[in-house]
Amino acid sequence: MFARIVRALAAAIVSLSAGTATAQDSEAPIQLLLQDHGEIIAKSSRRTIGPAIDALATSGLPEAQNVLERWQAKEMWLNKETGLFVFAEEIDRSTIRVFDFADGSEIGAVPDDDWKQLKPNSGIRGLIGAALVQFQLSDPDPANRATALDAIERDAEESHLAALRASIDGETDPAILARKTRIERLLTIEFGETDQERVAAIEEFQGDLGVDLRAVLSRMVTTRAEVALDAPERDDIARLVEPGSDALDRDSAYALLVAADLAAPQITRDEKRDALVANIQDGEVAGVEVATLDTEAARDLAYAALAEAGVVEPVAAETAVAEALDSHVFYERYVGAPAAVAIAAQLALDGIEARLALNQAADLLLDALSLASIYFLAAIGLAITFGVMGVINMAHGEFIMMGAYTGYVVQLFVPDYTLSIMIALPLAFAVTFGAGVAMERLVIRWLYHRPLETLLATFGISIALQQLAKNIFGTQARPLTSPGWLDGSLVFNDVVSISYIRIAIFVLALLFLALFLFVMNRTRLGLEVRAVTQNPRMAASMGINPDRINMLTFGFGSGIAGIAGVAIGLYAKVTSEMGQDYIVQSFMTVVVGGVGNIWGTLLGASLVGLLQKGIEWFNPSNTLAAQTYMILFIILFIQFRPRGIIALRGRAAEA
Amino acid sequence: MPKTLTLSLSAAALCIAAAPAMAQDCPIKVGVLHSLSGTMAISETTLKDTMEMLVEQQNGAGGVLGCELEAVVVDPASDWPLFAEKARELLTVHEVDVIFGNWTSVSRKSVLPVIEELNGLLFYPVQYEGEESSKNVFYTGAAPNQQAIPATDYFLEELEVEKFALLGTDYVYPRTTNNILESYLQQNGIAEEDIFVNYTPFGHSDWSKIVADVVALGADGKKVGVISTINGDANVGFYKELAAAGISADDIPVVAFSVGEEELSGLDTTNLVGHLAAWNYFQSADTEANEGWIAAWKERMGAERVTNDPMEAHYIGFNMWVNAVTDAGSTDVDAVRTAMYGQEFPNLTGGTAVMLPNHHLAKPVLIGEIQEDGQFDIISQTEEVPGDAWTDFLPESAVLVSDWAELGCGMYNTETSTCVQIKSNY
Repeated sequence: MFARIVRALAAAIVSLSAGTATAQDSEAPIQLLLQDHGEIIAKSSRRTIGPAIDALATSGLPEAQNVLERWQAKEMWLNKETGLFVFAEEIDRSTIRVFDFADGSEIGAVPDDDWKQLKPNSGIRGLIGAALVQFQLSDPDPANRATALDAIERDAEESHLAALRASIDGETDPAILARKTRIERLLTIEFGETDQERVAAIEEFQGDLGVDLRAVLSRMVTTRAEVALDAPERDDIARLVEPGSDALDRDSAYALLVAADLAAPQITRDEKRDALVANIQDGEVAGVEVATLDTEAARDLAYAALAEAGVVEPVAAETAVAEALDSHVFYERYVGAPAAVAIAAQLALDGIEARLALNQAADLLLDALSLASIYFLAAIGLAITFGVMGVINMAHGEFIMMGAYTGYVVQLFVPDYTLSIMIALPLAFAVTFGAGVAMERLVIRWLYHRPLETLLATFGISIALQQLAKNIFGTQARPLTSPGWLDGSLVFNDVVSISYIRIAIFVLALLFLALFLFVMNRTRLGLEVRAVTQNPRMAASMGINPDRINMLTFGFGSGIAGIAGVAIGLYAKVTSEMGQDYIVQSFMTVVVGGVGNIWGTLLGASLVGLLQKGIEWFNPSNTLAAQTYMILFIILFIQFRPRGIIALRGRAAEA
Repeated sequence: MPKTLTLSLSAAALCIAAAPAMAQDCPIKVGVLHSLSGTMAISETTLKDTMEMLVEQQNGAGGVLGCELEAVVVDPASDWPLFAEKARELLTVHEVDVIFGNWTSVSRKSVLPVIEELNGLLFYPVQYEGEESSKNVFYTGAAPNQQAIPATDYFLEELEVEKFALLGTDYVYPRTTNNILESYLQQNGIAEEDIFVNYTPFGHSDWSKIVADVVALGADGKKVGVISTINGDANVGFYKELAAAGISADDIPVVAFSVGEEELSGLDTTNLVGHLAAWNYFQSADTEANEGWIAAWKERMGAERVTNDPMEAHYIGFNMWVNAVTDAGSTDVDAVRTAMYGQEFPNLTGGTAVMLPNHHLAKPVLIGEIQEDGQFDIISQTEEVPGDAWTDFLPESAVLVSDWAELGCGMYNTETSTCVQIKSNY
């Protein structure tokens, strides 16, 4: 009870102090300006907000910049009773500290119940940003200058060109200077004063593929379909179009004629029928017996009679439509820019088109390579356990998952992302190596040369491991965050780019290829593995312990799967089911490539990756269909090359 | 046997003592049909906990009709056919008076025949694709016109988006929703070639090509927006790829219909700031009712837990049911159903939810921007929008209405003035 009284008292005092303060600032010019537009500011819709932002930007008041910036940052508040605007910072969920716009002085801490926070949506924030450009272009803080450039790129206005040109000379930061110069050229294309200036700017961009450039050029070559009796002698005609072609269908062509008052409107058969039915009198329509209206021509005549009588609007019959379309010329006229600029822009766009296709192919190739490296990384462990040892391990995907969860757990304890990945990679190897060895000792070694039983047993283990992961970590995806230096992408141009994380996975895949080759060809373990897989009995009689070798090989394959898991978790997600996504592709990669040969696995991964991306390119609207077609293709491929791309020959093949 | 006898005797005595006029069996049983294991467990367990909390709160406030409420919890284990079995068990073995449950549309479709055969009562709390109206189900989640359409309007009007990428997971909800949206966009003057549609499998992770395609849409200078019906953990890879491509929400905004507070807890949200989601409820809604609700939830479940939209749907549905039972003076399904129409209850986001005769709610639509802390900043809140079972934007559904109060039909053709069918086995 006491606490409540104190709170009420405090609120009263605060509102009192706020009251006196707001009385002071309500006459300040900036406040008056805001009050003028108070209604639309409070309504906060992009459609109506324009005048308020313009008024602030052109007011010349020194506080305007501060108001716009606070507003954009969602720091402007509105008093529900007095309608006065302030800026405020939140102290906690229900208290705010308010400041006066007029002189920036603190008014006091108040409960937020009487205040409404203005939350401009990103559309409005863009407009505010565009208005702020004039203040920010020469701001001492480079970050603010960059923000201004972002704003110009999003909502370019004619006034920006002069402001930008004025700010280029004083620019000291080379990166920002480069951006300013580029944007100045783009703005010149759009808003330059003379045609020569604009054409020159277009020509300067020779060889550029930027999305921003293409956006500007596309706006320049906007056309509008128009119609005339004869082909007009003008230089801004883009091309003549034939009604009924893709560019202009017959209905829209006729609509143009109607709009230009060159023909009467047309109605559909149903509408005509309805009009006739509505005018039936004593079994007749405009003097024609209803029974005779059994052909389209008869109905046209009856309708024409009705039109003559003034009962309905006159319309064109279908034959008249064809005639009208034939006797007029349809053309597209440049409306986005003067003819000279539009033609130059069209030329530039045509030039871009050709190079664009090439670059898109290059980008697709990069994507395909990246996907191939991911599949390769996922499959390389399987290439060992399945390819070399011949064990069908359905739980391979779950080893990938285990590796990924290891990475997640490490990040829980080591907050530094770079360090945590450094720890996670070997730890994931160790964990899955251990799991692989345990599985080999407990289950698989009893089932060698019984593939069906191995398949069933490992499939069961995979389900058990998934449920275990669900019980421990839950089914919600867990974050595995890559270090900051892997954020972003390597950008060649606006079309060709690839994210750094994918490059890292690519490098990792190459490293493991090298590691695999080294272990198999250059170490004693590799020698013994090859000996045991070729002929276990002979190897045993040479003093090699096949049991131990099998155990280590299986562990090695599983360990690599764990590392693949960390990599995959970094670019996608960590869930208990992530292994399922890769097990089919991994087996496919190994089988297509040719069992028992690492180069085959590499080729298999490349084939599967390229194929998947190629099909996606043909059918961009359904990625699932792309995967289905790919699997169909692989089934066909296996029919013709059952041993894969690189088939083992000789003694190794029989082992 | 004697023990049961004494129990039921004493229960009867209690009831007589409490409400002699009403022949109410005590306790009133509330069935909770949410998966506690399997894929859907993480989402649905939250709702089970919500229901237990609501029942407890109601008992603390004196129960209903003088009776204690008792929550009967069963586990359909994310197994769609098992949902039907468990619903039958709830209705015939436990004889519950009402069921609160289901999450996925496919599980709801599996329960429908059972609940209609046995004349049960189901409250379904999740946003869904519409095109359904069962006599025995109250849909407290959003229909497409309470989520997808207002979000699209926001894109069209406030962000001035001119080209749309509709990305979805390949199953019934995204496909139906995108069909509706495609038709809606075309009616709003967006050309067919300016709408890019893509479907991906559950759990898809290789997003680079699709993100590149979306960026390429902007090459002709039109503003591009993404409407995402991507479901579940595929969202993680999608947002990671967006961030890697350096796409800010100011350039290409993404509005998601299946990403809420719970889903964001699995993501590093620093790169997602500014992207959007549309729901009927956000935890950040600044009302007293919501503050109390969050405090009660956190006290019960732990400080790190978040609240979300389906929880609010259960909150409204349960309270409306309690009021309807009180009004009807019994838990009889038909009596309660009739009493439900026109029930009003305050939303947690301010305003009042109303139960309509088509078994949907009138609720406000909120659009929120993702913030760094994984919460949403509400930037747009509409008036209450009445839920529409049959969408107006597909020609074959536009002529259908659902009205169980006047017409007694969930699929009524207004052109032919006939009831197409009573059962919802379409």
